[in-house]
Amino acid sequence: MEITIIQAILVFVVAFIMGIDQFSFLESLYQPIVTCPIIGAILGNFELGVVVGGSYQLIQIGSMPIGGAQPPNAILGGIMATVFAASLGMEATPEGVGAALGLAIPFAVFGQYAVTLTFTIMSGMMAKADQCAENADVKGIRNINFMEMAILGTLFGLLAVAGLYGGSALGQTLQNFSFQFSWVMAGLDAAGGAMKFVGFAILMKVMMSNEMWGFLLAGFAMALLCSANATTSGATLILCAFVGAAIAIYDFSINTKIKANAGAGNMGGDSDGI
Amino acid sequence: MAYNIPEKYQDLTPAPQVDKKTLNKMVWLSCFLQASFNYERMQACGWLWGMLPGLQKIHTNKEDLKASMAHNLDFLNTHPFLVTFVMGIVLSLEQNKADTQTIRSVRISAAGPLGGIGDALFWLTLVPITAGLTANIALQGNILGAFLFLIIFNAVQFAIRFGLMYWSYGLGTKAVTMLTSSAKEFTRAASILGVFVVGGLIANYGGTTVRMIVGDTQINIQSLLDGILPKLIPLLITLGLYVLIKKGWTPVKCILLILVCGIVGCAFGIWTGNSQAMDADGNTIPGGYNPLVEWYDYPEPAPAEKTGQQAWDALTAVVTELQNGGVVVTMPE
Repeated sequence: MEITIIQAILVFVVAFIMGIDQFSFLESLYQPIVTCPIIGAILGNFELGVVVGGSYQLIQIGSMPIGGAQPPNAILGGIMATVFAASLGMEATPEGVGAALGLAIPFAVFGQYAVTLTFTIMSGMMAKADQCAENADVKGIRNINFMEMAILGTLFGLLAVAGLYGGSALGQTLQNFSFQFSWVMAGLDAAGGAMKFVGFAILMKVMMSNEMWGFLLAGFAMALLCSANATTSGATLILCAFVGAAIAIYDFSINTKIKANAGAGNMGGDSDGI
Repeated sequence: MAYNIPEKYQDLTPAPQVDKKTLNKMVWLSCFLQASFNYERMQACGWLWGMLPGLQKIHTNKEDLKASMAHNLDFLNTHPFLVTFVMGIVLSLEQNKADTQTIRSVRISAAGPLGGIGDALFWLTLVPITAGLTANIALQGNILGAFLFLIIFNAVQFAIRFGLMYWSYGLGTKAVTMLTSSAKEFTRAASILGVFVVGGLIANYGGTTVRMIVGDTQINIQSLLDGILPKLIPLLITLGLYVLIKKGWTPVKCILLILVCGIVGCAFGIWTGNSQAMDADGNTIPGGYNPLVEWYDYPEPAPAEKTGQQAWDALTAVVTELQNGGVVVTMPE
């Protein structure tokens, strides 16, 4: 299949937008049911794109981005599945699409790497955000947001165009690469999973005092208990908030009463003295 | 952090109500909550971007705006479609110039629980229903499926975004004026709730585990640790980082330390990590990755998370289910 420059540019633009849309903006454009027909139209086989999108969407329903877990990237998976289905002249059937999906997997994996890498780099940028806040630099905050969107979009665009030209041979190379350096990517994954503890520690620095330690451990225990039970695990944090709110409201009402009584008590003391 | 966020704003006169135009602008910007998502503070910087139109209206004092911006960069993770609920509440607190600690505690307490509700509402209900039905239209080669999906999904999304913003802002404004008479007690109570929720977050989001299997009897170190206290490692890391930050470590230094520990640890096969590497059949590496230095045998290959065959089975299962449910599904020949 001959690919013109214009087609390559259009694929780049679509991948750029979808790369951003998976986390921001409408958060629905990136779904395969929308992305695949667009790629199909660019490659001159619109109907094939529609069918690939439909089949991929059904598979995708089982792997939603729940609770921060990241399944292999649906955007590059969908884009590349359409590209392979079109370039290999596959039939517009779910069976044909299944084969295209296998070829697209290495790209979906690399799409995930692009996300992991961006999230790691942007963790470092939070110091810059703190600086912007100290200087009331509104534009700086906006630019940091633009920056991540630009990085993410560009990485996705480049991967999609590389896949468009490199085809399944590039997929093979990427796959070998990901197996060879799996410990580095797993390291980034493990480190990424632990970085949120820095955010927690900063929050604790604000709210902690000696008498608060018990509440921290109580919340920890509550979440452990809720998540251990299949029927409550989905609502873990809501249940934590319920119990936490009960304690907080009780503490609030007791303390306001003590304050009111302390005032009355002092007055009484004075009058008793007379 | 060199900058110490003050406990109270300098200008303590409550600001006038934020106008509709600004609120609407905030709703639109709320779509970019995750624009600068990262592992350390997650949605913090995108959140601040969305809050800024309101904050700029409220804090005419420059020093107050700085303080407000600084504490609105706290760790935040909530559901992207329900975030306007938190925005409305926090905006009403800012407007009444509540103590910064109160705002921080209320924000994390309100934001945390929304994640689970939003996932259940959107990813487990709305998307499967709309995408499942419209995907079948698409399977017949009809583009109408894509349009229907976009229209339904976004109509619901924006109705919720706008509705929650106005509702929670109104609610917050009413509640806050009532509570300001006992500001000190309120701050204490909010901190208790905040700390309680942070404890819950550590257990809920703390996914760090070890993958080590040692000895001839293949002792699984993680299940040993789980026997002592589940989520022990996340708790210990958080407490360790808390001590380091109290000692004056910057967040960047902490992140670099974690990055080095993570990669070196995985080189030796200590941490659990998923490299996501897959072959064309969708087979993953047992244990998630191959360590650089292998000093123990990882036992029998764990079942692959999702092979191509499983994905195909899932597809056919969904189609059969829809057919059983009375939805006409024609598989193209």
